[in-house]
Amino acid sequence: MIQTVNLTKEFNGFKAVDNLNLRVEKGDIYGFLGPNGAGKTTTIMMILGLIPPTSGKVFLLGEELKPNNVEVKRRIGVVSENQYFYKEMTAEEYLTFFGELYEVPNVHRRIDELLEAVGLRNDRNKKLGAYSKGMQQKLAFARALLHDPELLILDEPVANLDPTSIKQIRDLIEEENRRGRTVFVSSHLLSEVERLCKKVAIINRGKLLAEDTMDNIKRRLTDTIHMEIELSANAESLSTSLSELPFVKGFTVEGNRLEVHLKTERDYRLDLSRFLYEKGFLVLTMKTKEMSLEEAFITITQQNISLLAQGEGNA
Amino acid sequence: MRTFRVMKTLFKRDFLYSLYSLGYYVAIFASFFVSSFILKNFLDSIGEEDILVSAYPLNYPLYITLVIISLYLVILSGISISREREQGTLEVLFYGPVTPGSFLWGKYLKDLCLGMVALGFTAVYFYLVSLFTNLGFTLGLVKALIMSVFLLSCVVSFGLFISSLTGRIRSSVLALVAILGAFLAIQLGYNALLGFEKESLSVPMLYVRQAMSYVFRGISWISPFAYLSRGLDSVVLENPFLYVVNIGYAVVYSLVFMFLSVYVMNKKGVKA
Ligand SMILES: Nc1ncnc2c1ncn2[C@@H]1O[C@H](COP(=O)(O)OP(=O)(O)O)[C@@H](O)[C@H]1O
Ligand SMILES: [Mg+2]
Repeated sequence: MIQTVNLTKEFNGFKAVDNLNLRVEKGDIYGFLGPNGAGKTTTIMMILGLIPPTSGKVFLLGEELKPNNVEVKRRIGVVSENQYFYKEMTAEEYLTFFGELYEVPNVHRRIDELLEAVGLRNDRNKKLGAYSKGMQQKLAFARALLHDPELLILDEPVANLDPTSIKQIRDLIEEENRRGRTVFVSSHLLSEVERLCKKVAIINRGKLLAEDTMDNIKRRLTDTIHMEIELSANAESLSTSLSELPFVKGFTVEGNRLEVHLKTERDYRLDLSRFLYEKGFLVLTMKTKEMSLEEAFITITQQNISLLAQGEGNA
Repeated sequence: MRTFRVMKTLFKRDFLYSLYSLGYYVAIFASFFVSSFILKNFLDSIGEEDILVSAYPLNYPLYITLVIISLYLVILSGISISREREQGTLEVLFYGPVTPGSFLWGKYLKDLCLGMVALGFTAVYFYLVSLFTNLGFTLGLVKALIMSVFLLSCVVSFGLFISSLTGRIRSSVLALVAILGAFLAIQLGYNALLGFEKESLSVPMLYVRQAMSYVFRGISWISPFAYLSRGLDSVVLENPFLYVVNIGYAVVYSLVFMFLSVYVMNKKGVKA
């Protein structure tokens, strides 16, 4: 449904999106994860053809994206990160306007259905200027679903919502997916899409770190043991030799503090302390850091540990 | 076919909401107020001299009315795209079946229709004037009103072009004021230089005057207000050929500026 090939966007030499290769298959609920500033919105805008890529290609619904290809755009629904409305319109007028644009049959019945589904039935005659952020988000959802799109592209759709609304929207996404719609949803929180998505891509600083099934990603994220080590001396000099150790996935050094991410096949603590000793360091403390899935996700994105390369290595 | 439906939908929403805006009526009635003032002076002078000085007594007030309506329209169309860019509503339209072409022609139609409604009010106003004075609602006035539709079209397409170039309301307004101000300044400067005898000007000033005449001629093809005066002049000159030619010019001008706008919007994109 969506494929990007070496998609790249530079803003004045700064690479917001860097050689991105994504592939979203029909029927997926595909999570697009990354911290703020990772390049998610930029990628989505390129997929929609609203900002031109510096290089690379986008295929949307099987066709290479051409400017102003409205026939393809009629088949997708979009909820953007920020909501923009004609403030002087009511919800009903707004949806009727878009219904006409997309040539939705039985538009008034469809509007009733959707306002009911997103819980805005009682606010249908309110001016949009008076809508709260959450209500705007839900209305954008109704707008995106109005024309029964095959593909839904959602940029942080639940970012402004309270827990009840999040559940409402999540149920709605699942329901739409069951009806055969493909969903591409971005988020900066893993927990937000954890139960929703079957497949995920993780990006940071414009680069793809991983693309896999949710289960595999979860396994891989919790598949790493994080060790906090205090050494007898400044450990900066260790960098190169540490990265050569086969059981080390990644590490950070700060003075005499060392954080090492280890593989989990077996207990590597002994190997690690022996290595450090041989390099002339004494281990003062060594402790395992307990991490939730979310923490693991944050660590992995902050430190740019390439799960992707590792995944390919294992395969 | 579908593109037309998209255009129609965009037009309808926009037009209805613009009709509800107060500024529109303020502009129209301000223009009538100024014309009434001019007419009153005119009638007073007839009263004193007891002679009719013009065969088209209502055309000058009409010209002033049109200039005021045009100023309103050029600002309105001048911010119409940049406003939607700035507020982000443009982006949302382009998630769907809207293209720069359908969007711009929708805006063009909307602004032109607002102009035509204003011309309708103007016709009623001048009809009332003709009832209360002995100045007739002549065929010349009807011709001038028809010509005005095409002249307003120039104004609108020029405004849209400026708007397609700018990303924010403020920059559109600044651009419009700067460009129209420059046109006016050059015209006034040129007229001032023309006022001098050729012999009284130094050689460098003669070159300046020559250069300005070229610039002036250029502007008279670019500025929509130049089309406005030329168009209305052609009515007074009672030259049917010139009348038709001026309508032709206005149509070509509008098309050129609309195509330029579509091109710019394709290049510039929909984000602020
Ligand atoms: N128009 C722009 N000009 C310059 N830099 C931009 C622009 N848009 C986005 N960026 C930068 O690109 C990076 C990615 O932004 P974005 O795609 O919005 O991230 P995300 O949606 O993942 O939070 C950020 O560092 C941001 O500052
Ligand atoms: Mg974003």
